[in-house]
Amino acid sequence: MKQLISLEVNGDRHEIAVEPDATLLEVLRDHLGLLGTKQGCDSGGCGCCTVHIGDRAVYSCMKYALSAQHQKITTIEGLGADGKLDAVQDAFVREGAVQCGYCTCGMIMTAKQLLHDDPHPDEDAIRHGIAGNLCRCTGYHKIVEAIRTAARD
Amino acid sequence: MALSRLKKFCIPENSHQVDDCVAEYGDNALILAGGTFIRGLEVRGLLSEVEALIDVHKLGMDGLVSGVGNVRIGAMVTFAALEQLAELHSAAWLAAVRDALACPPLQIRNMATVGGCLAASCPFYDLPTAFLALDGSVTVSGAGAQREIGLADLFVSLFENSLEPGELITELTLPRPPGRSASAFIKLEGTANDLAIVNVAVSISVDAAGVCEEARVVLGGGVGDRVVRSATAETVLKGQQLTHEVIEHAAAAVGQDIEPMADHRATAAYRLAMAGVFTKRALNQALSRLN
Repeated sequence: MKQLISLEVNGDRHEIAVEPDATLLEVLRDHLGLLGTKQGCDSGGCGCCTVHIGDRAVYSCMKYALSAQHQKITTIEGLGADGKLDAVQDAFVREGAVQCGYCTCGMIMTAKQLLHDDPHPDEDAIRHGIAGNLCRCTGYHKIVEAIRTAARD
Repeated sequence: MALSRLKKFCIPENSHQVDDCVAEYGDNALILAGGTFIRGLEVRGLLSEVEALIDVHKLGMDGLVSGVGNVRIGAMVTFAALEQLAELHSAAWLAAVRDALACPPLQIRNMATVGGCLAASCPFYDLPTAFLALDGSVTVSGAGAQREIGLADLFVSLFENSLEPGELITELTLPRPPGRSASAFIKLEGTANDLAIVNVAVSISVDAAGVCEEARVVLGGGVGDRVVRSATAETVLKGQQLTHEVIEHAAAAVGQDIEPMADHRATAAYRLAMAGVFTKRALNQALSRLN
């Protein structure tokens, strides 16, 4: 039986009726149309569903929507302001850190927390920091460069 | 996460509400902590009977205390929160926990909880191996009663713990070891975000002359249906100076106490060989940390 829940996503509050086993990922994509957050392995192994709850990066495929009430949720659509990209998004564009793009939004959300916790990470820290996000195209080099660029700028 | 028979999602604010939900759904109620292994259990068909999830994040259980005789960690402390324990970064006896916390990716550290990873009774996890090497025990409450369970008695079998229906872990206690003590944890994994092929945690205490008074050698990751203590290796170490030869001998002995399995990650023979190699490395690492 569906339950009515209230979620705060990117500063907007939404009242949504969901099944008790609905994940945050399903609600973001299927109910709110926020398609930047991707569905990949659906079991916490690939990272493309990464969003922030508070200032922490989490796998939205592993978070029940009912458990995410009363917390501030941020998706890739919530980054940037006034038509301008966030600094990490901008660095990914400038460094060409994208091929198919499927992992990109999750990668950027992870990089945001990485840079929040450690504003000047070295390469090892960057590679360790994005270990929970898989990319099957780039070989990671450009992604690491983009995060380094975002830290420098 | 498709739980086909799920009817109720409870978010209790006190233990009475937990009891109410358990009374209604009995064995078909599942305690939800960080939630990072629900999917893993579901795809194995182990949650097909679950009718109620009890999300306990509003019950507190998030204390983190460096006490006189022990360190106490609330069940709902996330791995990320545990990293904030100041003593973790300076105390040699706790170093195995520090080592193990470095393994899971950021997103898992932000979600997974200490109580959840113990209740999961999954021998492929990292932190339980370290906690057992540090002689951890859990406080468990349910139906108005409390009891203590040593971790060796909590882990019954693969994904099976010794909790009664309605019981939940509220706290983990790690006793401070006597004398000069140090620990270490090492994991062999295929990728940076995978379960262990083999992991090893050791804790050693030595007297003023450097003789080993206490030793705990624990292995996980496909070497048994639960995390395994190697009593044989511990016997080799106790009462001895921890020389290169003694450590080699202890590392070779762990094979007598484990039953490595074969799966898509590794063969049984590879696990057996690596169990010895990583025990030796963990012992040397702990030894280097003795001050």
